[in-house]
Amino acid sequence: MTPFLEVEDLVVEMRRHGAAFRAVKGVSFSLERGDALALVGESGCGKSLTLRAIMGLLPSGGRLLSGRIVLDGVELRGGLRGRGRGYHQGERMSIVFQDALSALNPVATVGSQIAEAPRHVLGLGRRASVERALELLHLVGIPDPERRYRAYPHELSGGTRQRVMIAIALSSEPALLLCDEPTTALDVTIQTQIIALLADLRVQRGLSLVFVTHDLSVVSQVAEQLAVMYTGRLVETGPTATVLAEPRHPYTAGLLAAALDVDTPEREPLAIPGSIPDPLRLPSGCTFHPRCGLATPECVSTDVFLAPVGFGHCAACLHSSQLAAVQGAGRA
Amino acid sequence: MPETVPVPGAVPTTGTAVRPGPLLELDKISVSFVVEHGRVLRAVDSVSFQVGKGQVLGLVGESGCGKTTVAKCVVGQITPSSGVVRLEGRELGPKRTTEERRALQMVFQDPYSSLNPRMSVRHVLSELLRVHRLVPPGGIEDRCRELMGLVGLPPDALGGLPGQFSGGQRQRIAIARALAVEPRVIIADEPVSALDVSVQATVLRLFEDLGSRLGLTIVFISHNLAVVRHLSSRVVVMYLGRVVEEGNRESVFSDPRHPYTHALLEAAPRLHQTELVQPVVKGEPPSPIDIPTGCSFHPRCPRAEDLCCRERPPLEQVDIGESHLAACHFRKERFADFARQASPGRSEDL
Amino acid sequence: MTTATATALPLFEPAQEVAGRPSFWSRALHSPTFMAGAVITATIVALVVLSPVIGRYSPDALDPLHPLSGPSALHWLGTDELGRDTWSRVLYGGRTDLQVGVLAVIFPFCFGVFIGTVCGYFGGRLDTIVMRVVDVVLAFPFYVLIIALVFAVGVGTHGIYIAFGLTDWVVYARTTRSATLLARNLDWVAAAQGGGLSRARVLWRHILPNTITQAIVYSMSDIVIVILAVVALGYLGLGIQPPAPDWGSMIYDGQNFLQNDQWMAVFPGIAVVFTGIGLSLLGDGLADVLRPE
Repeated sequence: MTPFLEVEDLVVEMRRHGAAFRAVKGVSFSLERGDALALVGESGCGKSLTLRAIMGLLPSGGRLLSGRIVLDGVELRGGLRGRGRGYHQGERMSIVFQDALSALNPVATVGSQIAEAPRHVLGLGRRASVERALELLHLVGIPDPERRYRAYPHELSGGTRQRVMIAIALSSEPALLLCDEPTTALDVTIQTQIIALLADLRVQRGLSLVFVTHDLSVVSQVAEQLAVMYTGRLVETGPTATVLAEPRHPYTAGLLAAALDVDTPEREPLAIPGSIPDPLRLPSGCTFHPRCGLATPECVSTDVFLAPVGFGHCAACLHSSQLAAVQGAGRA
Repeated sequence: MPETVPVPGAVPTTGTAVRPGPLLELDKISVSFVVEHGRVLRAVDSVSFQVGKGQVLGLVGESGCGKTTVAKCVVGQITPSSGVVRLEGRELGPKRTTEERRALQMVFQDPYSSLNPRMSVRHVLSELLRVHRLVPPGGIEDRCRELMGLVGLPPDALGGLPGQFSGGQRQRIAIARALAVEPRVIIADEPVSALDVSVQATVLRLFEDLGSRLGLTIVFISHNLAVVRHLSSRVVVMYLGRVVEEGNRESVFSDPRHPYTHALLEAAPRLHQTELVQPVVKGEPPSPIDIPTGCSFHPRCPRAEDLCCRERPPLEQVDIGESHLAACHFRKERFADFARQASPGRSEDL
Repeated sequence: MTTATATALPLFEPAQEVAGRPSFWSRALHSPTFMAGAVITATIVALVVLSPVIGRYSPDALDPLHPLSGPSALHWLGTDELGRDTWSRVLYGGRTDLQVGVLAVIFPFCFGVFIGTVCGYFGGRLDTIVMRVVDVVLAFPFYVLIIALVFAVGVGTHGIYIAFGLTDWVVYARTTRSATLLARNLDWVAAAQGGGLSRARVLWRHILPNTITQAIVYSMSDIVIVILAVVALGYLGLGIQPPAPDWGSMIYDGQNFLQNDQWMAVFPGIAVVFTGIGLSLLGDGLADVLRPE
């Protein structure tokens, strides 16, 4: 069965201060209909750019050098200038951003912003699109939709604004929802509400989801598949539970060791030595090698690619079996 | 590290060592602003707590709970509308003396705006050392190097400007700046929230180190429960400007006696959790201009009854003699048996 | 779960260098705008300073034998109707104009930056009063004010200095005040105050270096504005008085001869243009170089 979303070999170039570099290098993944993938990494790893490249909304200075995106059998071509995808029937995806306050139009009511896509993309009449907007406000759990329709973004709280963003994203009837750190700026109690909302929507509407975050601790509630990015490349992919329990790439293992868990306060978080390299001066071979305890001269000289290490589980590391052995020994 | 702190108002029984008072004390601090149309915004409402010497106090709460405002009151950036801040029993007035300002140092959240972009690290540190005459002029360079060593940065970082450093490094510089004036208390306002995960671990270890090696007293403000539970010995939970729970770390985390604390614990994301967490509280915090009557949490509280709407619950001991306090009418109930183990949940497809 | 890679934290990260920041001069040398501006301005200044040496005649010297002659071996840029050598007059005129330009800007710069910083930091009644004065001054068209003031105070360089002194400071005050307002709320200012430093120290040693950049950059183009205003005043007879040469009056005098003897007006005009370009590029370049990234 062909996957619902297929991303092949995405390469994005960014220009900064006149210098160009590849911010996303050959990212490929696929997603079945109704499934969710969490794309995880620290700042500068290219996860947001990957999402934006799929959506056709690269920032200025960014350029898609190569790559194929196939959604439901249809290969997506570059969008019209200035317009992302989702504006065309058949390119049925939407994006939800991190900061609702800057992503929403401050001088238009939220209702009109939700009604915009039904009106101009789906071709509904004015009254029908207002109806649709009210339905969506209700769907995303905003109480008193008639009153909220006329509110402006700055009058709403952070969580409500995020729900509005989700409503706008849903208004064009997408089959795929791309989320760029949608809960990072929210309080933790609101975060659970939004995550529950997204889960509900997936069940109700069969939505597929790509969820970008830097926070490993939310991914197990959000997505069944996990992909970890470092300096523009995927370093590990696989089922979330498996990757979190048995990471096969030293970077993933490092992230897990550095994370704090509220249930195990005695555990000392271990930092990953070194720091994220400057994208203009990346180390050769495996870009993680300067920070990796398992690095060998081979890691410096050869480019490393994703290779299977388990069922549906891939890692881009020459020593993943060694890592597995160490972890196994540690558990014994 | 002292595990318990004398409860305000409690009578010490014979046999208890006479403790000197707490190092830092907040006594009914309130901060109100008058906003448009003459309405009053109560950012902080009668907050009191104490920090003993060498303790790490965790101040927890979500956005809008007033924790940053409390921090600013402690360091003297804001004058409270009422209430006092005491350092070693001495009241700190609105105009702080140089000594008082030195004693309470703050580390800020945003590493990108907490350092003067045009001042080298050396300039920042040496100026403080010189102005306060902390070392003889010949020893300034050495002391700067020492400070760099304390925070784990190489000595040649001294010549750099903030723009050359990463977020984690900037936070370390900010900590070095705070340490330069030899403070009694460091107030860290969300110092790791803006940093990447792998870098957070470094800075957190630094705080731990400073606490244990130098015996520093730290007030650690965060919305991240995992961080607070890891670092603090005593915890204060705030909601909408009020303290809703206070106690030793393990009491509060394993046996929360306020529904809000319980909700925060439930909502904290856990690495290996596969079952979807059902939100315990509904809705969102109201604006601080419209604080609900009675218990400010009652509109969202799953346990609320009529009483909660009418009467504001006082912050009181959950059991006689305990140093665990909660501002809930039902503080005697255990809201959840919070002995969650770190074992993975059942594998269940969402 | 253990990992073989993350080690017990060495707080030290010896492998990581602190990327050095190139010095001011290194950055300056690498900024094409700055270099272009610096070279042009430096050339003009050098020429003007060396006028006694390279000017071949005194600017007032009359050569009745060669009035209105075009560029020649004898007079490199020709002569005016009185036989005065244009080349020398351009050089000496440059002296006058640049001197007036710079001096007329110094007081507004210093006073404007000072008052802007104080208003931005302390606010209050002083801020309100000063900003209302700024509003009033800015409400008038610039040239109208200058002309009226020079007329009232008296012609000549002192009149120009007073007129600019009274009106030009407002721009510096405003930009510095905005920059100070922004900086005042930043964490590093709070940290400096919290560190026990006096307010004066924080204001002048910490905040000012960050807020003064815009003023410095503007001052470059301000010099050009002054020179142009002096040219305009020259038209009304309110500028630099003869016999002191200045580009404005040279252009004015040359108007009558544009048909046949264009060089009289063109060469001083070119001088003004080049000075303007040089100073503008220098200002832009400085803006780039002074940015603290």
